[in-house]
Amino acid sequence: MKRIAVFSLVFALALALSLPVAASVPGELLIWIDGERAPVLTAVARTFVAEYGIPVKIQELPFGDIRDNLAIVAPTGEGPDIIIGAHDWLGQLVSDGLIEPIDIENPSLFLQSGLDAFTWGGQYYGIPYAIESIGLFYNKDLVGEDGIASFEELVELTKNELAPKGIYGLVLPQPDPYHTFPFFSMLGGYVFGVDEEGVLNPLDVGLANAGAIEGFEFFEQLLNEGVIARATPYDTMMSLFQNGQAATMMTGPWAFGDVRAAGVNYGFTQIPSYKGQYGKPFLGAQGFMVSAFSENKLLANIFLNEFVATKETMLAIFEGDPRPTAFLPAAEVINEDPDMRGVMEAAAEAVPMPAIPAMNSVWTAWSDAIELVINQQSTPRAAIQNAVEIIVQTIQESM
Amino acid sequence: MAKLIKGVFLGVLNVVFIWTALFLLGHQAYWVLLLLVLGAALVNFIFISEKGYPYRYLLPASFFMILLVVYPIVYTVYVSVTNYGTGNILSKEQAVTQLQERRILDAEAGNYTYTAYRDGAGELWFLFTSPQGELLLGHAGRLEPVQEGDERFSQLAQFTELTRADLVRATNELSALSFAFDETWQLQMRNINYFGVYRPQYEYIRERDELIDLESGTVYRPVLGYFEAPDGTRLTPGFREVIGLNNFRRLFTNPQVTGPFVRVFIWTVQWALLSVGCTFAVGLFLAILLNDPYLRLRKFYRSVLILPYAVPAFISALIWRGLFHTELGIINQVLRATIGSGVPWLQDPVWAKVALVILNLWLGFPYMMLVCLGALQSIDHEMYEAAVVDGASSWQQFYHITLPLLMVSVAPLLIASFSFNFNNFSVIYLLTRGRPPMVGAQTPAGHTDILISYTYRLAFESGRGVDYGLASAVTLVIFLITGAITFINFRFTGTLEEVRKNV
Repeated sequence: MKRIAVFSLVFALALALSLPVAASVPGELLIWIDGERAPVLTAVARTFVAEYGIPVKIQELPFGDIRDNLAIVAPTGEGPDIIIGAHDWLGQLVSDGLIEPIDIENPSLFLQSGLDAFTWGGQYYGIPYAIESIGLFYNKDLVGEDGIASFEELVELTKNELAPKGIYGLVLPQPDPYHTFPFFSMLGGYVFGVDEEGVLNPLDVGLANAGAIEGFEFFEQLLNEGVIARATPYDTMMSLFQNGQAATMMTGPWAFGDVRAAGVNYGFTQIPSYKGQYGKPFLGAQGFMVSAFSENKLLANIFLNEFVATKETMLAIFEGDPRPTAFLPAAEVINEDPDMRGVMEAAAEAVPMPAIPAMNSVWTAWSDAIELVINQQSTPRAAIQNAVEIIVQTIQESM
Repeated sequence: MAKLIKGVFLGVLNVVFIWTALFLLGHQAYWVLLLLVLGAALVNFIFISEKGYPYRYLLPASFFMILLVVYPIVYTVYVSVTNYGTGNILSKEQAVTQLQERRILDAEAGNYTYTAYRDGAGELWFLFTSPQGELLLGHAGRLEPVQEGDERFSQLAQFTELTRADLVRATNELSALSFAFDETWQLQMRNINYFGVYRPQYEYIRERDELIDLESGTVYRPVLGYFEAPDGTRLTPGFREVIGLNNFRRLFTNPQVTGPFVRVFIWTVQWALLSVGCTFAVGLFLAILLNDPYLRLRKFYRSVLILPYAVPAFISALIWRGLFHTELGIINQVLRATIGSGVPWLQDPVWAKVALVILNLWLGFPYMMLVCLGALQSIDHEMYEAAVVDGASSWQQFYHITLPLLMVSVAPLLIASFSFNFNNFSVIYLLTRGRPPMVGAQTPAGHTDILISYTYRLAFESGRGVDYGLASAVTLVIFLITGAITFINFRFTGTLEEVRKNV
């Protein structure tokens, strides 16, 4: 009995010592990336390894999980060196102390709006690869080759031609503040005001100013007149547009695949104007960031500057998942595609979606206000004024 | 043979223990290591000593109980008294390290190009060229000006010059270097191409626990998870810290939180009662039907009726969400075709609640049916014969025999079902997400929010992002409420035990 015990202990010790202990090692890059871009980065990593002999590990995670997982794993020292992410994570990641400023060697190669989106406190925190904003899909068979330039035009067209045939003028996901924002912004509404130094002021919420309320009331009017289909979630919206039951659809470049697959004769352009003012959508940007807990910060910078910020890599990223690029040398090629040109046009009017953590308290209350109006349980004015009160109060609480 | 198996088993277990111990040692997790060593000693004692024999069967159960039940509860209690959440996820040590590493670049000094050499002993030498074209020799943290043709300059020719690839491979080594420019400024690596002139932004004085801004002289002291200046300016990142009962205070004194709390609480209780009541009523009804020996195709009906239970609830809930759609859902299309108007299922507070109860009825009745079928079969048939002889109607038979005897075995399950539905986050979240919103509520609350989904909103959609501390506090409060209700319920079923004795 005793002999067995002693033997097992000796055997265990011998085996245990021969097993490597897992720990993060300096001199080896670990990248967290989503499935769509993982193959591209795997190829890029191979050239990096061939050139410098430094191992690169690619770990695939769902895009939306990367931020939360970084917060859990990075402080324990097990996290990645480089992550992929969206610009609106910046506020949270920086205030958590999870990401590190990046030294972009040649900022002039990037689209300014993409760089702006990844700037925080005057420093770059990410290398952008794509930008996006919502725009207007239109069915050429229903509204003509050139699409729709103004909401006034859309209302006329719907009343005279589309509605009698049972076709909606416009569909958009509801209730969804992100997609409804252009109605608020077109006559002067905004989410957060900017102070003299150009910094967002979380206590200056401009979603219930005169312009925002007027735009929101116009949105309600379109619902009541049947120009916009009421209470359509994303899937319903998509099927209405795909089946030709809606002439136009307000959403982003991620919908190209579904629209093409349905064989709709479509075009994509910027969001129409109202009273001569264009509805400004949110601008979003995606990019690569460096973890503050990386043991290889400079190496990560080299990898991103020399191997990712290249025309070949950016084009490969585009091939894998077509989104308008933020990298100018690649843009020349990519913008030959009419869809991408449309998105660039739409994005020209866009305003960066605020990246400050206070944005978290905006979404729910705002979404509730939109829903109350869609459900005809409140007037736009009362709903949005109450929402802004909640938002400001919540933000004050948390400061 | 048995001894051999035991020996191998214990050996494998010890391999795992020692490997984990080395891992923990590497990560300096000494407390967990201590627990592991104690646990390993216990396991070895139990398996080797004859005295430990009875505990062999108790040990695995206690182990998993501690791991999966006790530890999460203890950890939740701990988190509820901390400020863990967005902005405060690092340890204080990590936050201090990050702040100490912050450096200020002297932008006017410009970029220094460099060439790096390794001497025979493997030590690094640098030749820097300033933006003005001056040459500087750097070695072992010191800088000195050199001229071409100097003895020290020509000495470099005997060393090996590092190629660009060498430099890339050595970045971690290079970026750790620092050359004293003068008392405050240091020459440090900026990127692979250049060095820059830097100085640290903050200094941390450990004895006084103060962080000093070296430029302005401002003193930052730790206040509730942040380094704070006298004027209230906070430095990010903050750190995780025990803040006592602040989270609970926020919960009970904040009108934003307590405002809709009562309404949410009432609906939570209604929801749990309605869910249990409806599923039990329908389940019992079907069970009695299926229990009738004269019913044909019993097995077929039983299989069909169990189907909703077999389909994952997540899928069913999403399908029902589609069915309930006001404009395009099949339910409203049928209603419109038959009675002329639809129902605003997910928009109207009352109808949204009805929709939820219908969905939960669909998801829950097969379980109740199965449970009742089993319980019905255990009731002695002679009692019914006796009742018939005494002239009892079938209603009287049901009310005086079936129901009380059924309750003996089913009542605990009903209580469990009540507690489960009390916290049934997924059904609420998948069908209505707690919507429709309450008009004029002070905090984002919906008419169909139950306590747990309301908590979720508070915790994850709060002003600063994620707030694990507050969420843990609310979780504990819900835990106490559910615990109290379950306790009262069990006292109530305790009286049912009496029924059995009297029959």
